Order: sequence, then structure tokens, then C-alpha cells
Amino acid sequence: MVATTNQTKPLAAFKEGEAGIIAGFSNDQLGSKLIAMGILPGARLRLVRKAPFGGAYYVASGNFRVALRKSEAAGVLLS
Amino acid sequence: MAHTYTVALLGNPNCGKSSLFNQLTGLRQKVGNFPGVTVDKKVGSLPRGEGPPIKVIDFPGTYSFYPTSIDERIVVQALANPQDDNYPDAIIYVADVTKIDKHLLLLTQIRDLGLPVVLALNMMDVAEEQGLQVDVAGLSGALGVPVAPVSGRTGAGLEHLKAAIRAMANGEAGQAAASPFYRMPEPHLNLARAAAEIVPGANTYQGLLIAHHREWLPFLSGAQQQLLGSLAEEAGFVPLRAQVEETMQRFDRFVPLVKKHISEPKAADSALTSRLDQVLTHRFWGPVVFFGLMLLVFQAIFAWASYPMDLIDAGFGMAGEWVRATLPSGWVADLITDGLLAGLGGILIFIPQIAILFFLIALLEEVGYMARAAYMFDQLMQSFGLNGRSIVALVSGGACAIPAVMSTRTIGNWKERLITILVTPFISCSARIPVYTVLIGFVVPPQQVLGIFNLQGLAFMGLYLLGIIAALGAAWVFKQILQTREHSFLMLELPEYRAPVMRNVGITVWEKVRAFVWEAGRIILAISIVLWLLASYGMPGKMQQAEVAAVVEAETSGLSEKDANDLIAARRIEASFAGQLGKSIEPVIAPLGFDWKMGIAIITSFAAREVFVGTMATIYSIGSADDEFSVRERMAQERDPVTGRPVYDLPTSLALLLFYVFAMQCMSTVAVVKRETKSWKWPLIQFTFMTALAYLSALGAYQLLS
Repeated sequence: MVATTNQTKPLAAFKEGEAGIIAGFSNDQLGSKLIAMGILPGARLRLVRKAPFGGAYYVASGNFRVALRKSEAAGVLLS
Repeated sequence: MAHTYTVALLGNPNCGKSSLFNQLTGLRQKVGNFPGVTVDKKVGSLPRGEGPPIKVIDFPGTYSFYPTSIDERIVVQALANPQDDNYPDAIIYVADVTKIDKHLLLLTQIRDLGLPVVLALNMMDVAEEQGLQVDVAGLSGALGVPVAPVSGRTGAGLEHLKAAIRAMANGEAGQAAASPFYRMPEPHLNLARAAAEIVPGANTYQGLLIAHHREWLPFLSGAQQQLLGSLAEEAGFVPLRAQVEETMQRFDRFVPLVKKHISEPKAADSALTSRLDQVLTHRFWGPVVFFGLMLLVFQAIFAWASYPMDLIDAGFGMAGEWVRATLPSGWVADLITDGLLAGLGGILIFIPQIAILFFLIALLEEVGYMARAAYMFDQLMQSFGLNGRSIVALVSGGACAIPAVMSTRTIGNWKERLITILVTPFISCSARIPVYTVLIGFVVPPQQVLGIFNLQGLAFMGLYLLGIIAALGAAWVFKQILQTREHSFLMLELPEYRAPVMRNVGITVWEKVRAFVWEAGRIILAISIVLWLLASYGMPGKMQQAEVAAVVEAETSGLSEKDANDLIAARRIEASFAGQLGKSIEPVIAPLGFDWKMGIAIITSFAAREVFVGTMATIYSIGSADDEFSVRERMAQERDPVTGRPVYDLPTSLALLLFYVFAMQCMSTVAVVKRETKSWKWPLIQFTFMTALAYLSALGAYQLLS
């Protein structure tokens, strides 16, 4: 759960099409929900696209797709 | 009573559980409620051959035993307590084999309950297309549960699954797992054992769940909750931390098993979904497609439904004539034609529109589109205090507010869920269609504009738009008023697009239409008959008195026979109980341009909006004995007895339309909102503000135009 210090970047700062490996979650409640869906630390996550007007993030991990809010994406740290 | 062997159907959202449920039980299913909430409980039966059929309960889809919405809480509530009414004898766990590395978390939790489990490995047809190799026997051995590969879509492997269920029911197979999957740390184990002591029959893992969820589990007493609280504190039990540790340990243990027995897919999986989403969730084209689809839905309701509706209308016309010709004239024939058939026709004529609407909405849900709509509009919905998931409720609200209100249970945040519930009835539902259809012709002529648009069709869209604006406006107001510190989540899985299983869509349409005919239909029919009685009878002597006076009046002013009959009929209904009722509220509604006949319709349609048309049919067919017009034509004939001007002129008709756009004229919605919010407070508030808005807008329109 604890983010590693070497060069992690929150998902919210990603560009469309950019991918990374989940290093951890900065918010335990959010992390627990994502883990229950099978989005685990170590998994590769790709930001597919963003909804208009600062809307939700369309994120994919393999063939699993999930929509996250920007505030939720801010809690996912990738390396 | 003999015990009925019960199996629970469980699985993650989007695992294809409903398809499998429909395959197992066909139309042998009933929809009920879980205690305390209106979460749909679908119960079906599976024939066993010899002996009583097996009961199958379809539980809401859930990711784990650590719920984030009311839907998911139901599962924990029923499975953590062996005394629960819905506690099963065995479990069929449905997992999507193409997402097995995620879907087995809940299976390993269920396995630890100590109940016999069969793993139904679903979507085997897709797995074959993708070249996925599954070692069924190896997986079964590694997980310690029987595995049945199936396809809920094609029905492949179903007989094998049924046989496995029957074998469990006959006690021939399906033992509970020998040892738990999750190895709890020592302090948690002690806490779990202590908690299990409290609930008779609970095992250690159920004990852990009880301790974890003690604050909301309804079967615990206040004293038990306190005891568990202090036990948890002694054990140093931090729920969130424990939950994550448990989840990670489970993944660490089952992912290697999955890797060992299921190969990686060869084909590039779900490329189609990615390509479709490039358009369907595109920043610009996504919303365009969404509104295009909504337009298509409208077109379908208004254009395609008219053919079967005309047939039904003609059928009832013929039935009425047949009854009139066959039965001797008198009150029996009157009751059947003016009460029963008028009411029944008023119900059945809307079946085509309702069926088409539910068909299209079920189709959008089934192919996986609704989640995309939620993704695209989450930001917009949030600015009105709603959630992206609210779009599903708002769109379904176009069919009927009742299932729409129930669909809000997937919204985890209470404030967002409450606002969605409060504003959804503003969306014009199918029950408003008949009212709009009857009245719109009095407001706008059936002209073509710009060559392609029908003016009445545009006015229809305008009314829907008005409902949407009211819903969003009210949501915005509630957003400012209601306060919450609860965190709000979107976190919504976007499932693969799949070709719809028509059986599932068909079953949904069948259920909704049946519910409409039986639930709403019974009310409408009862009201039609009561109304006929009220309109046919009055205080002793009053109606005869009115009739005699009308005859005298007709003679002195030298009316033709037809006009005289109309006058007599009108005076009779005025003197009836129904007339008295309408007259009593006339002072309140007169400023809106409504007369006492409309007053009767407004009172009766508090039960359900569509009653309006039935009421009009009953009142006017009694009003004029030689009725050969449809309701609309008859209403167009109606003249003010004093001024001789049409009663349904522009100001009055528009005021009536506005009233029906905004008013909360539906008993069933009030009841459902009461159940969903667990108090009378919210339905009362909702009823008040909706009625107030309806009254004021009708008042404004009439006063400005007349």
C-alpha cells in the first residue's frame, strides 16, 4: 500500500495513451476498492482517454477497463 | 414445511450471471425483495427430476465481501449469518474465464464460508475464440471446488452444471472445502472465533466478517455491536488494513494457481471493444452518439408503436360493440363497456410503447453501453450533485420511475443516491405518454416544419426536455441544501461490448410488461370501476332531479334531440358522486383553467398518471350515450355550457400538460421511494415540491395565455 519513493507519478498527471506500473495508492480507502476489483500493485495500467470537461479517466489494465474520476486517479501512483 | 434446497448464484458484476440464471430457470422466476430494501431478489426454480425443485436465488453482482454499495451489502448480510432467510445450502459461483485472474477473489472468500461451492466457468465460448486453454481438472483440484465450464450465451455445458447442482442437492457431491483459503493472523483468528460465538452456526470466516461489518449488520443487537467493538480493539483489529491484507494474501495464493492451469490468450483480446470505444466514448462523437440513440428511442416509441396500438384500440372498440349487441341494455352492459372495457383498454393500449421502451433500454444495458454513458457524463452529473451512474436511472426513468429508483442502489454515496431518487420522477415516464398524446393535439396542430419534423413530435420532445430540465434544476437545488461528508466514488467497470442475448432482453421485457399489466393494471381497472360507480350514481334523488330539470330546460330552449340528450347526460354526471367530488376541488384548480371533470381526473390519476385517459374515457362515454368517438375526439367536442367555447383550448390544455409534466402523480413511485429511503420524509418532500412546481407552472401558463 505504501508508495515507493523512487519516481512515482499519480495517474491523474498522465497523458492519454501513457502507461505505467502501479506502485501503490496514496489513499487506503480508494486502494482497497481498486484491489477488490483486481487492480493490484505491480499491474500495468494505461490511461486510454479522458472524458471532456475535466471528466472521468478511462483506464485499462489488460482486458479490464475501469472509469475513474480525476480525484480517484490522483490516488493511484505509478512508476 | 419441508426444507427447500436453495442454491445462491454469486459472482462479480458483468460475469454473465443473469444469462446463466435465465438459462437455469427459464421463465420459472419471480422477482421479490430482500428484507428492508427493494433490491430485486430474483428467485427461480430448477427441476430436480425426482423430488421438489431446487430454489435458485440470484444475488446482486459483487466484487468482494467488503461492500461499497447497498447492493453488495445484501450479499454479506445474507451470507455472514447462517440464520438468514436467504442463507443458501450451496453456492454456484460464476466467473468470467477471460477475467479469471480478477474474478476468483470472491470465490476464495465464498469457499471459506464452509458451504459447498461449484465454480461455473462462464464465457467458455469467448475463451475458445481467444485460444484460451483451460485445464479444468487441474483447476478444480487446485482450488478444491468442482468446476463446470459453461457458456451462458450459447447454453454449452449447461447440462453438466445442472447435473452438478442436482448432485449437490442429493448429497452426492460438493463437500465444503477442507481447510480455509485465507490464513488469518493469530489475533484476528481469536477475534473471529469470539465473534462466531455470537451468531449461531457461524464459522470462523463468518466471524471475521461479522466483526468487520459489525456497525451495519442488521442482525446484531446494540449490545453485541459494542461487545464486538471492544473485542476488535483488544485484538488491534484495523478493518481497512485487515481487509487489504486478506485480499492481497488471497490474490497471492490464487493467481499462481490460475497461471498454472489457464494459458494466456493467444488472440488479441477485446480489440473490438477498444475500437468501438474510440468512437462511442470519444470526447465529441461519444455524446453525439448518445443523443442520437435517445432520439432513436423516441422515434421507436412514437412511430413504431402506433401500429399495434391501433390494432388494440380497434379490438376494444369491437369488443364493446359486441357486448352492447349481445347483452340486454342495462347496468350490467354499462358496467362492462363503460367501466371494465374502457379501463382495460386504457391499460392494454400502452403495452406496445412500454415493451419497446424497455426493450431498447434493456438492449443498451445488455450490450454494455450504459457504463459508457456513466463514464461520459459523470462530470456533468457531478455538477448537479449526481453521479455518473445516475444517468442509468435518468434514462430508465423514461420508461418507468419505479425500476429507475431501484437502479440507484449501485450508487454508493448516500447524497448522490438520494438526489437521484428525488429527481428521477421528473423524467417523463411511459405513463405520461398517453396524457401527452391526448392533450398535445389541443396545443399544437399536426404540421410539418422544415419539411421533415412533425410539430407535434417536436412539442413532445419539448415536454421531455422540460422534465429533464426540472430534474437537473431540482438536483442542483438539493446539492446546495443537502450536506454530507461521505466520500463519493465513480470507479466503474467498463465491460466488454457483447452481442445481446435476446433471451435476457426478452425476459426483461416480459417481466416489465407483466408487472405493468398486473401491478398498475389492477389499480387502473379498480379505479375505472369505482369511477363508473361514482359517475353513475349520486345522492338519492339528486340525479333524477337534475334529469327532470334538464328535460324542462331542453324543452323551453327548443334543443334538438341529440343536444337535449347531451345536456341531460351532462347534468346527470354533474349531480353524481363523481361530479360532487370534482366540484369540491374546483375552487383550487379553477385558476389553472381546469373544470370539475378534469378535477376528477386529477384526483383519480394520483394513483397513476395513465388513469387520466381512462377517467376521461369513463366520464365522457357516460356523458354521451351515443359515443362513437375516441376519447380525444370526444374531448375536442366538449364545449363550455356557458360560453359555448371549446373546453380544451390552448391555455387549459397547456396548463394540463405542464401539470402532468411536473406532478408526482404515481402512488407506486411514492411507495418505492419510501422503501428505498426508509422514511416517509423524502417521499413527502418529493411529493410536495413536485406538486407545487406543477401547480405553479400550470397557473402561470393559464393566466398568461387566457
